[in-house]
Order: sequence, then structure tokens, then C-alpha cells
Amino acid sequence: MFSYILKRILAAVATLLIIMAVTFFLMNAIPGNPFLSEKASPHAIELAFKKYGLDKPLIVQFKNYVVNYLRGDLGVSLKMQEGTSVKDIIFNQGKFTRSIKLGLSALALAILVGIPLGCIAAYHRGSWLDGFLRVVTTVGVAVPTFVLATLLLATFAVKLPLLPVKSGELTDFRSYIMPVISLSFYYTCYLAKLTRTSMLDAINQDYIRTARAKGVKTSKLVLKHALRNSLIPVITYLGPVMAGIITGSFVVESTFQIPGLGKYFVQSVMNRDYTIIMATTVILSALVIFMNLVVDIAYKIVDPRITLTSKEG
Amino acid sequence: MKYNFAKLSPFQVDPDKIEETFGLTADDFQAATDTEKESVVYKHKSVSYWRDAARRFKANTVSMVALFVFILCLLFAFLGPRLIPYNYADQYRSSQKLASMEYSEEEQLVIAMSKNCDAFYATTLKSGSLTAIKKGDYTINYGGKTYAFTLKKAIEKSVLALDADAEEPLFVVKMKDLNEDGTWEKSTPVELSDAPAEGAQPLKLVNSVFPHVFGTDSSGRDLMARTMYGAQVSIIIGIAAALIVLVIGSIYGAISGLAGGAVDFVMMRIVELIYSIPEVLIVLLLQVVLTDPLRAWFDAHKTGIGAILGDLGPGIVSIFITFALLYWVTMARIVRGQVLQLKEQEYVNAAVALGASKTRIIRRHLLPNAVGALVITTCLQIPSAIFLESFLSFLGLGVSAPMASLGSLCSDALATIEIFPDRLIYPAVILTIIVLSLNLIGDGLRDALDPRLKK
Repeated sequence: MFSYILKRILAAVATLLIIMAVTFFLMNAIPGNPFLSEKASPHAIELAFKKYGLDKPLIVQFKNYVVNYLRGDLGVSLKMQEGTSVKDIIFNQGKFTRSIKLGLSALALAILVGIPLGCIAAYHRGSWLDGFLRVVTTVGVAVPTFVLATLLLATFAVKLPLLPVKSGELTDFRSYIMPVISLSFYYTCYLAKLTRTSMLDAINQDYIRTARAKGVKTSKLVLKHALRNSLIPVITYLGPVMAGIITGSFVVESTFQIPGLGKYFVQSVMNRDYTIIMATTVILSALVIFMNLVVDIAYKIVDPRITLTSKEG
Repeated sequence: MKYNFAKLSPFQVDPDKIEETFGLTADDFQAATDTEKESVVYKHKSVSYWRDAARRFKANTVSMVALFVFILCLLFAFLGPRLIPYNYADQYRSSQKLASMEYSEEEQLVIAMSKNCDAFYATTLKSGSLTAIKKGDYTINYGGKTYAFTLKKAIEKSVLALDADAEEPLFVVKMKDLNEDGTWEKSTPVELSDAPAEGAQPLKLVNSVFPHVFGTDSSGRDLMARTMYGAQVSIIIGIAAALIVLVIGSIYGAISGLAGGAVDFVMMRIVELIYSIPEVLIVLLLQVVLTDPLRAWFDAHKTGIGAILGDLGPGIVSIFITFALLYWVTMARIVRGQVLQLKEQEYVNAAVALGASKTRIIRRHLLPNAVGALVITTCLQIPSAIFLESFLSFLGLGVSAPMASLGSLCSDALATIEIFPDRLIYPAVILTIIVLSLNLIGDGLRDALDPRLKK
């Protein structure tokens, strides 16, 4: 177990390093540079290049990034908030907190609604409730996040002005409702579908019949015996969910005008603010990779049958 | 062999008494004719895999409805633009920002006027190069008659109208001379010639103004035409990206699975690495990186493949590149899994033992058995490509105006959401319907092609 975790952590670090390298070379391949503007003279640009070390060879620049990141130094913004430390921008201006709050709320909603709905559908299989849930979840996984976000906005903020059009800094509860629902809806539906299928597989197993024959109460049967076994595919899916929620946050933060990390990443790419592109990519990737790691370990705890030596495709 | 009759059990029949026991005579034991043999051998016509799958698919009501809906979407996207007079790129200056089914002031004037004539050609309702009827020779076919005339001067900001019963059937009314009640202040008759001049262009007259069913955008482009075009772009991107993934993924997966050993190990570590990268971060960067070099490349290569790709634009081509770089890994894993599983099957072993060549084994045994999984994965890849494209276009990457995709239309609509919320609904609903029907078709295909997977 310990050696497995160690191996996975090493692999995660290697992946992160490769992501850094890919990001570094891609962002340097974006035509133009952060200092290009109508006012800037070639001399001023040259000075700025020198100041931020952009005149050095790419490989040296990359090495500096890695060394500085290991020291916890994320550099300073080149354009969007010139001269401000990237760490301050991301962590002290509330961007990271807002995105995390939004993402975790969406994840929690997806888990707390999706899994119980799947159980209910499986338990009442064949009933009108199951049919209804099946239609809702099938449609739900066909609606792109931005479609749902914009439709919610059109309905509840414009036609019936119940909720604010701009969620802004997410200060009150009402501003959370639409972003969280649009971010989590797809995953709620997907988790409900997944739980239903694996729950049905579990319910048809022999040990469930035995337990029922022994007189185990239905509630205990579902919650203890069936659910625990049907959670394995659900847990595996949580890694992709996390990645998807980050993807969705780009759209949701843009649509509801929330100044978060996702929106900031998109802006930094457009502005070629190298240090911010790098920092946001690394932080968001680290979140996804960390989540995958947690999921893989949780997997082992839920199902001791799984051997953790090598994961074959 | 001699029968030992003494040992006959009560259930055995004395061969000498067959006739008496079963009522059969020696005539009943004649050799079967060829037709009789056939009737036994071909009791069931052999059912091919595809026929069997098609039967299962047809029996699945949900998938059949989804297929029907998807065909409707295809007709909307590909046939629709031929049926409406508007084009996705043409800007009608007089009809900007119309709500759905609303007519612009000029259109209302022309509609009112159309009650007082048979047919017309309004230059203001056409766009771009057609805002005027240029000077030259024209013919008009209307009501079984041919009218030929020569224009010495271009007609602009006017309506060319036809009233078959009038003394001078063809006349021009200036836009500014039209009244709201459908009458006009003055008109200029067009002199008709007896026979059409050589090389005369046919001019098509209409008798009604086609409504802007979905309204128009702030540049005066018809939104229904744009939605149809956008659906077309989205579907083409979805299918092309799925094919790219199919080709790259299956070649990679097949090599990895067939080679095995160290090659397989290294290839699978690469797949795992790509798999664990949060691809959207890289995709966004790639989009920005690729746009300018691609545009430069298209400008330098104006023939052959460069021209085709140049028409698609750098946004779409970079989506294809993205799929070719990052999205084939799932397909590669599935193909490798299939190859590994099939390689060990007894019938493959038997074929190897019988001395079948490698190509024969691949063609005859591996491919037909893996094709189900390939078809299913490819089909489910289409909606995911459409998702990605619309996501990128929504963020302002992907396709750029005047081109449209369902994602960019939603993004455009977001700017005016407080005034025209329904402008958002059309592309959003069509996008959802396309993705939903493709998902359901994919599910149906899975049940039909691979019944073992049925849940």
C-alpha cells in the first residue's frame, strides 16, 4: 500500500512537470508577447524582457520556473496586474477561494443528489419514478454546461427576475444557486445513471438474496450491502468529475461574471501573461491530479479486492 | 452382426417387426432427393452479424426515434439552407436586431405593396452584391409568360414589381415613394423587348417576404440561416473529429496490443500520461497558439488541401489538431483491450495452428469482432467533439464570424440576453437535441452490436 502511494505520488509529480513543460512551450509559441501595445517602443519592450528574464534562452527560463515553483515562488504578473505577485493575485484576491467554493459546492451537490437519486431509481426500477428519472438524466447528460448556464440566466434572472444576473464575488447565498446548479447538473445526472446501473448489478447478486432471506431490513440491505458494492464505479468517476468541474468553471465563471480562477485563466491566455498562465495551469492541474490520486486510494479502501500493483488499461 | 433377440429390452424393436410397429413400409426408406435435402439444411437462412444487429436496433424504439430526430436535424442543417432565401453571412442593413418573426420597416412596406401587384424583386431586401440589379439584359418567367428587358441603369433602393394585367406590366417603384397602406406615389415603367437578348440573366420574382423565423442579429444576419449553418458546422466537426480519433486511436491501440511486451508498456505509459493531463487547459492554449500559424499557412497554400482547410478556418482546423493530439487515448485503450482479448480466443489459436497468415487473422478474425466496439466508441465520440467545439466557440475561440457554430451563436446571444432571450434558446435547444439523439443512437448501437454489454 505504502509503496503504491509513493509510486503514484511520484507519477503525479512527473505528470505535473510534463504539464509545466508543455504549457511553457505552448505559451511561448503564442504569437506576440505580453508587452506588445501601441504605446510600447521597441526599447521599452526590450527593457521589460530583460527585467523579467524573458531574454534568456527558453530552456533557462523553464529551469527558472521549475526552481522557483519548488521554492513556492510563482513570479509576478507581466501584464494584467503588472508587478503584483502571482501568489497574491491568486490566493489573496479571493480568486482561488471563490473557484474552490464553487467547485466543491458543485461536487457536493452532484454527489449528494446524484447518488441518492440513482439508488431511488434502482430501488423502484420499472416504476414511473424510475422512468421519469431516466428521462431527466438522459436529457441532463446531453445539455452542455454553457447551455444550461445561459438558459438558467435567461429564465431566472431575465424573464423572472428572481436571482441576480451577475453573481459577482459570491457574497450571498442567492448568487451561488445558478452557478452551482449549472456546474453540477451534468454530473448529478451522470452519477445518478451510474449509481442506478451499478446498484442494479449489486441488487441481483446472490449475497443480497441471502441477506434478504436472513431477514435483513430493506433499508439496511440497500444502504449497507448494495450501496457499498455499487459505489466502486461511482468513485472511479469522481476523478473525471473534478476535471470536468474545472472545465465547466471556465464557462460558468464567464457566464455569471464571477472573478474566479477559471475566468482568470482564459483572460491570461488572451493577454499572454505568461506567469499567470503557468500558475493557473499548474494549480488547476495539480487539483485534478490530486483528486485522481485520492480517488485511486479511496478505491482501494472501498474494495480491498483490487490489487494496486499495476493498472492495466 | 447378428442380433441377440433374446436380449431385446422391452423398449427395443424387433427389426423384423418395424412395419407392423410403426406402420412404415420399405417404400418409406428411399434416398432423399436434392430438394428435400436442401429443405432440411436451409431450415433457417443464416443471419449475418449486421443483419442481426440491424434487427435488434430496429426493435429498440428509443434508438429508432433518436435516429429519426437526428435525420431531421441533418435535414435542418444541410437541406434547410437551400430552402430559405437567406444566407448565414449576408448582412441585411435594414433588418438588424429583429425579434423572431418580426419584419423590418422596409419589409413591412414591401409586404403592403405586394397586395397591389403580382410579384416583385426588392433590392433592399437582398444583400451584399445583390443590393442593386446591375445594368444588363434580363428575363423574368412568371405565370407562364416570359418578360424580357434591358436595363440601361442599375436599379437601387427600389422594388421591381410585376402586375400581369396592367398595360405596362413591369415597373420600378422607389423605396421612398412607398406608402404604409401599400400604395405608391409614382412608378417608372420598364420597357419590355419582344425577344430575350442573348446572354440575358434570369431574374426570380417572389410574391411574399420570407419571415426571419428566428429573428436577426445585430449585423442584420438572419438567425435561422445562421442556426442551420451552425448546426452544419457542429455536425461536420463532430463527425470529422470522431473519424480522426477512430483512425489514430485504433492504429495506436492495435499496434500496442499486437506488439505486446516492452513496446506495449511504453505506449501505454504515454497513453496514461496524456490521459491524466487536464486536457481543456492545454486545448485552450493550443487554440490560441495555432490560430496565427494556421492562418499564415492557409495564405501560403491556396490550392488543394490548403484551400479546403482554409475554407474551414483556423479555429476548426485547430480543433481537429487538438483531437488528433489529445482525444484519441480512450479509443486507443478500447482497441488495445479488444485486441488483447481477441488475441487469446480459441478460434484465433485454431487459425494460427492451421497456419493462417497474420493479415488473414487480423482481417478475418480480429477486425470483424472488434468492429462493434469501434462503431460504438466512434458514435459516442461525435457528441463529445460537438461539446468541445461549442465550449471553445462559447469562450470566443473556435469558429469566428461570419462563420457560426451552435456554440458561437449561444455566445453571441449572451450579449443581448436581456432584450432577446429567445435568441439563445434556438441554438441551445438544437445543440441539445443533436447531442441527445446521438447519445441515444450510440446507446442503441451498443445494445445492438454488442449484446454482451447490455445492462
